[in-house]
Amino acid sequence: MADHSHHDPLAGIPVTLLPPDGHYGAQVEPGLRATRLVPAALASLAARRGREVELAEAAERAFGVRLIDAPRVSSAGGLSFIGTAPGRWMVLSDAASDLVIRLDAAFGRLAAITEQTDSALLYALSGPEVREVLAKGLALDLHPSVFAAGSAATTVFAHIGVTLWQAPEASDYRLLVARSYEAAFLRALIAAAAPCGFHLDGRG
Amino acid sequence: MSRLSSGGLIDRARPLSFRFDGKGYQGYEGDTLASALLANDVRLVGRSFKYHRPRGIFSAGPEEPNALVELREGARREPNTRATLVELFDGLAASSQNRWPSLALDALSVNGLLSPFLGAGFYYKTFMWPAHFWEKLYEPVIRRAAGLGRAAPEEDPDHYEKANAFCDVLVIGAGPAGLMAALAAGRAGARVILAEEDFRVGGRLNAEPGEIDGAPAGEFVAATLAELCSLDNVRIMTRTTVFGVYDGGAYGAVERVSDHLATPAPFQPRQVLWRIQATRAVLCAGATERPIVFGGNDRPGVMLAGAAATYVHRYAALPGKRLAVFANNDAAWRDALAMKAAGANVEAIIDIRPDIAAPLAREAERQGVRTILGGQVVATHSGLLPGATLSGLTVAANGRTERLAADTLAVSGGWSPNVHLTCHHGGKPTWRADIAAFVPGSTPPGLTVAGAAKGSFALADILREGAEEGATAAADLGLATTILALPPVADERYAITPFWHVAGSKGPAFVDQQNDVTAKDIGIAHKEGFRSVEHLKRYTTLGMATDQGRTSNVTGLAIMAELTGAGIGETGTTIFRPPYTPVALGAFAGHHRGQDFRPTRLTPTHDWAASLGAVFIETGPWLRAQYFPRDGETDWLETVNREVKAVRASVGLIDVSTFGKIDLQGPDAGAFLDRVYINTFSTLAIGKARYGVMLREDGMVMDDGTTARLGESHYVMTTTTANAGKVFQHLEFCLQVLWPELDVTLTSVSEQWAQIALAGPRSREVLARIVDAGTDVSNDGLPFMGAIAGAVMGGVPARLFRLSFSGELGFEIAVPARHGEALAKALMAAGETFGITPYGIEALGVLRIEKGHVSGNELTGQTTAADLGLGRMASTKKDHIGRVMAARPGIADPERPSLVGFRPVDRTQRLRAGAHFLTPGKAAEVGNDEGYMTSVAYSPHLGHWIGLGLLKDGPERIGYRVRAYDPVRGNDFEVEVCAPGFIDPKGERLRG
Amino acid sequence: MRIPCPYCGARDAHEFAYLGDATVTRPDPSAADAPAAFHDYVYLRDNPAGVHQELWYHANGCRRWVTVTRDTRTHAISSAVFTRSGS
Repeated sequence: MADHSHHDPLAGIPVTLLPPDGHYGAQVEPGLRATRLVPAALASLAARRGREVELAEAAERAFGVRLIDAPRVSSAGGLSFIGTAPGRWMVLSDAASDLVIRLDAAFGRLAAITEQTDSALLYALSGPEVREVLAKGLALDLHPSVFAAGSAATTVFAHIGVTLWQAPEASDYRLLVARSYEAAFLRALIAAAAPCGFHLDGRG
Repeated sequence: MSRLSSGGLIDRARPLSFRFDGKGYQGYEGDTLASALLANDVRLVGRSFKYHRPRGIFSAGPEEPNALVELREGARREPNTRATLVELFDGLAASSQNRWPSLALDALSVNGLLSPFLGAGFYYKTFMWPAHFWEKLYEPVIRRAAGLGRAAPEEDPDHYEKANAFCDVLVIGAGPAGLMAALAAGRAGARVILAEEDFRVGGRLNAEPGEIDGAPAGEFVAATLAELCSLDNVRIMTRTTVFGVYDGGAYGAVERVSDHLATPAPFQPRQVLWRIQATRAVLCAGATERPIVFGGNDRPGVMLAGAAATYVHRYAALPGKRLAVFANNDAAWRDALAMKAAGANVEAIIDIRPDIAAPLAREAERQGVRTILGGQVVATHSGLLPGATLSGLTVAANGRTERLAADTLAVSGGWSPNVHLTCHHGGKPTWRADIAAFVPGSTPPGLTVAGAAKGSFALADILREGAEEGATAAADLGLATTILALPPVADERYAITPFWHVAGSKGPAFVDQQNDVTAKDIGIAHKEGFRSVEHLKRYTTLGMATDQGRTSNVTGLAIMAELTGAGIGETGTTIFRPPYTPVALGAFAGHHRGQDFRPTRLTPTHDWAASLGAVFIETGPWLRAQYFPRDGETDWLETVNREVKAVRASVGLIDVSTFGKIDLQGPDAGAFLDRVYINTFSTLAIGKARYGVMLREDGMVMDDGTTARLGESHYVMTTTTANAGKVFQHLEFCLQVLWPELDVTLTSVSEQWAQIALAGPRSREVLARIVDAGTDVSNDGLPFMGAIAGAVMGGVPARLFRLSFSGELGFEIAVPARHGEALAKALMAAGETFGITPYGIEALGVLRIEKGHVSGNELTGQTTAADLGLGRMASTKKDHIGRVMAARPGIADPERPSLVGFRPVDRTQRLRAGAHFLTPGKAAEVGNDEGYMTSVAYSPHLGHWIGLGLLKDGPERIGYRVRAYDPVRGNDFEVEVCAPGFIDPKGERLRG
Repeated sequence: MRIPCPYCGARDAHEFAYLGDATVTRPDPSAADAPAAFHDYVYLRDNPAGVHQELWYHANGCRRWVTVTRDTRTHAISSAVFTRSGS
């Protein structure tokens, strides 16, 4: 087999390996940076039938967060609620994990709460070419005029399901990808970002 | 050399070296391969498809039918590349095609002598007799002779990308109309993408001299380009062809990022396939010139008039030393006179029209160009050597014939608007007699047309239409637009008299040069009844070559229209479909090639299994361990036998994380399960699990799995690996659409939990060593089919299920997925004294077949619960999905093939899944088919092969023999019918 | 083709799974004519050249069932709403 390493950023990396931290692709200041973050906890929250309004009120009371029933993200006190479906949110906590217990205490019979900390990995994506790179896998318009800070979307990147958002106070994008797909996702991201240079870190 | 000393959009400071058919030449940056060849006096570039006639460069664009070359060498070799589109680069190597031993002396030009036999439709009339000659003789010979270029023999070393783009206005084509449209929309603040096929913007303004606003047109192009580049909301994509209009404002385009480089820069793709989502689009694709057809019109040196002018003006390359022009329209005169003014030796203009506009006649006289009005070219001539190019032509005018010397004949039969994209949604173009051309009819929603693509050939009209359509598109989106000032340009008339074919000319008159279709072939098609334009195309192959008939479609159907007497408009065109130009398959694949064809899913214990040397197998998108070979084992069966024996003798473990896992919460969770499973779950005790079967509404089994009740309003369901997504979709349908009144939520937890099955008589002992105090896995604490929450490995939360697919004492342990590998290792350590054995899905299959459990091979979507011996599970007290249809007489028929077990009569025989069952003595005919073998395995415990299968009246025939007929693999022997369970039929080992 | 999901906004049709006619209603399984009614419910469909109400599942988005009104001749979608109950 010819040596294609000068144009194949994945040369030598089998599909069964999580690509290691480091620089990939063009030898320039990276156009995309991806950092794997470790959220303390993740849980899915699903409003019980007819209890959506009560749930929003409870969220305000318990966490000071304005729960929006739309593909948006709202955060307060270290908790982020990302709308993934009508009446459903993925909840991220960056504090130590008693998330399910806290949510249970606040929402009790109003919602179904399910532990999801191990189900997905969280990435922060930034860099001057972040939208150009994401456009290679996402059929979603990320132009700031239509996808502004606070927007979220559950969609596919290169045939892999992801939930993506832009936090109101941050300029980067955050993305959740299912654990079993992580290697495939990174491969697609590396391939997409190689032309402009890509730096991956946080995996150790 | 035929290069003008000045002028042209080439950079004389950057010479480039290239090779054609092994010979070295020089060109300049800005040249195409075609322009550089002409500048080097290379006028013979290929041999035609059928007759191997010598051919030259015919056009200057994508409509090129003849100048097809093999570009590059080795793994990047690309056949059938149009030399007119190849951007010259240093070191380029190209070869002519379809000739042997050489371009000048081609042995297969003898095919020309066979032309009476190779006319239209010969494919349908020849090579039929004798029939057995086809495979041995005709096909191999035809294969060797057919085709043009050769594909590269190695894997494509380049990579490709796919990308998405969004815009308000997509402008297709950056000629004068497109530049104005982009400017109007861009200034209004619309998000604009301007796509241009060429490597420069400007369109026809690059190919013609002329002034805009008192200055050379090139200055207008440069200034417009500069302003567009300065606008953040405008994206210009050159080398980008929009090839298709799809539904809902979606456009396909291919960007040739690196085609013009010897090799792509590191990590850059060769090409990018774009999916552009545009609210509005303006098509400014221009028009393509068509020729007049006459005898000998394919000789090298005969080319389109506009192309000849393009070579002179844009590339400063003279197509030849003595030029004549043959035309029926005014534009060709302007091309001819512009060439003369630039230094080409244009000696005569022959026009079929008896009268010509006075200004053109005056200009011709002023420039000293002879004009022959009312004239027609009736023959062409060339030298006597093989592969010789044009040397002269014969003209008939006013009752006399005359021979003219010429090495280049520039021909124009008029211009055809490039309507193709307007037809991609099924719209049909309409005929305009005043310009003798088809123009767009209805267009896809959101797409409008401006300029020559719409039939407007005067530059003033083109500029105005482009500006108007760009502004309208922006205004429709609610943006405020200002009226663009239109620069003044000279007035241009386009007068044309339709003329298609010189009847009575001598020699073959080619209509489609690439597929060697002549005017005579059209006559044959007409005579044989193939008169509709769709039949004409397919019978003669006119328009079916890689140039898609760009220079032949209209002429061909016009000739047919003359024969049938119908109007051209009535005859119509064939249907234009995407892609507008060929698109490399690699571009459609992008990153998804080879191992990345689709995403691979890895289980939480993958690395651990790999470290033990597991062999993996694809199960849908997953990689699962198939078996774990040990040193010294010679084949997979030996490994699998060891694994199976170890499980029944002691203990083994297998990752079962790939099952779908669905969390159900809510007071109606049990009621919901009752409606989707055939059996009852609302009565399931907390802390217990139950096997469930799920039907489709048509009564067939969709999936099976176990569902456990963890709390009053809390269940966890598992599905098979393959059906996880399908089941979740089905459950959501039931909940959202059928029974939205039910108070229950569904959440997928497939990824949250790693799950390992531990099976064998020692499994409880192993498990007990890893559970924390307080988690009781004794027979009392975790009875058969129990489900409890607990903790393992010092504080890791776990769910423990007493389940068994293998029929041995068994458990499934679920832990949060990050702990999956640690769990596997902990179990291995805890089980070391028992010789714990990791096993894969092969052994899993053997174990479940030994027990008669159904799996994917039996859950085919065509089997009912009754077929599988599970009919009695179905509750009669409640409705569930599929209940009514499962009772249909046809599928409730007890004579349907149903599940039983099989043993070979001769115990040494290997059983095969897929063998069909016949009553012994009955003929092996479909009518006697009584079922088939669904699953087989070698049972190391029994020492022979066993199988499960579906047999008519199966349970009644236990103890009898049937014939297992497998003609595909050459097997035919008898098998014994037995109960579908070979080991521990009473299930005593399960419940200990 | 883009489908305007009521929750997620306009998304490519590839994110969805198609089921079919949205106007059929699951019959009463306890009714006397249930066998015939279920047979029609499972198998019989109109195939209009024109406006069609149909079920799409936003599998790769919000996982909601959406009733889409689409012209089968042009693929023009005039509406998309969450599938109402009672079907």
